[in-house]
Amino acid sequence: MPVKWVLHWQPNQGSTVSSQILNEATQCVESINGVKEGRWKATLNYYKPLLRDQTNQAEFPRDFLGISLADQPNKYYFIIRSQRIVVEADSSIQLIMERLQSYKSKVALYFEGFQYQLGDFRLRVGKVVPTHSENVRGIVMEVEYLPISSMEKSRKVMEEFLEIWHEALSKRSLPGKFVNIDLNFGEFGLGDNYTPQHTAVRYALVMAHMIATVQAVRG
Amino acid sequence: MECVVQGIIETQHVEALEILLQGLCGVQRERLRVHELCLKSGPSLGVVPSEVRLLCDLDQPDPTWTVKHVGGAMRGPGADQISVMVRTLIESKVSKNALRMFYALGYKLDHELLKVGFAFHFQRTANISVSVSSVNKMPKVHAIDEAVPVTPGMQIVDVTAPATPANYSEVAAAVSSFCEFLAPLVHLSKPFISTGVVPTAAAAAASLMSDGGGTAL
Repeated sequence: MPVKWVLHWQPNQGSTVSSQILNEATQCVESINGVKEGRWKATLNYYKPLLRDQTNQAEFPRDFLGISLADQPNKYYFIIRSQRIVVEADSSIQLIMERLQSYKSKVALYFEGFQYQLGDFRLRVGKVVPTHSENVRGIVMEVEYLPISSMEKSRKVMEEFLEIWHEALSKRSLPGKFVNIDLNFGEFGLGDNYTPQHTAVRYALVMAHMIATVQAVRG
Repeated sequence: MECVVQGIIETQHVEALEILLQGLCGVQRERLRVHELCLKSGPSLGVVPSEVRLLCDLDQPDPTWTVKHVGGAMRGPGADQISVMVRTLIESKVSKNALRMFYALGYKLDHELLKVGFAFHFQRTANISVSVSSVNKMPKVHAIDEAVPVTPGMQIVDVTAPATPANYSEVAAAVSSFCEFLAPLVHLSKPFISTGVVPTAAAAAASLMSDGGGTAL
């Protein structure tokens, strides 16, 4: 499958994320001749253990995520980032988790927005919102390079595209920037050939960074 | 949801059963070599204790994994009148490190088995699967190459068919009806209600083996 980078909006010190920034980013894609293809949506769940004895809480992972991706409607992905675990499953795994009654989704977030075709690239820009709220918690951008599935081989062209993107966006003088986080996929048992599991891990990392940013602002 | 019955057969009659099944099902048999790991939640995890099964199909060039949650069986007067067990079942294919994930979530290995045998999957009103396998235990954790039969000389016959709340009666009837054809060799009943081996199985097997299954039983 094509290589994909997942960027997230990092606001400048003292500023916050908002729908206005999403609108600006979307307009920027259209200004560089991105052709709108439609909407996209992904869902992420934070799971917490249900414990009969709360004193043992530290034994259980605090970063157990589940995510359904727009590209893979019949699949579901689990990530425990601290232990470098990523698992792909059928969507029915969510029903299994409900029946087990050992973990429950405590926070659910949507990633949703518009999808664009731009030459050999597919772009998705979207906001991060809790499922029962319109409160924008973040902005993400997927950049997919369709001809190549090797991460190494696609690195240069992705970096060049991002330079173009950053330059186009900088004309709008927004209080922040889109950031790509590099990570060692090998630690998760993933190779150079790109898969949806890579995307799931990227989203987990994006969420960790977004939470860290929010906590830093609050701190 | 699934309908399920089980029975036991002496290993010496398995070949005859295979001939019978070949004739009844009209499909190629498939090899069965499945490593089944039964995981249970740790002491304080969960509203109630829970159990999940991980199955690794070792017969594929690249082993494939499935997670299975088997729920409670249907109960009550309606269930008592059905000769097959109807129970909830949810399955999901998973990638290979699912076991590591469940360990990280606080699940522990309760027991593991290696099932070796064959299976037939065919359509007869319902999608029916029949498997005949020896159940083997491992002397050391995950030591599948050292597995030994739990009951030497005996194999388990499983007949299952997926069902829904809307059609389980028809599926149960299809499974029951099919099981009658196997009655000369194996008694099939609800799991955990064993009826033992069929006393006349030897004669039936001899008949099947002598004419290759051409004689109607």
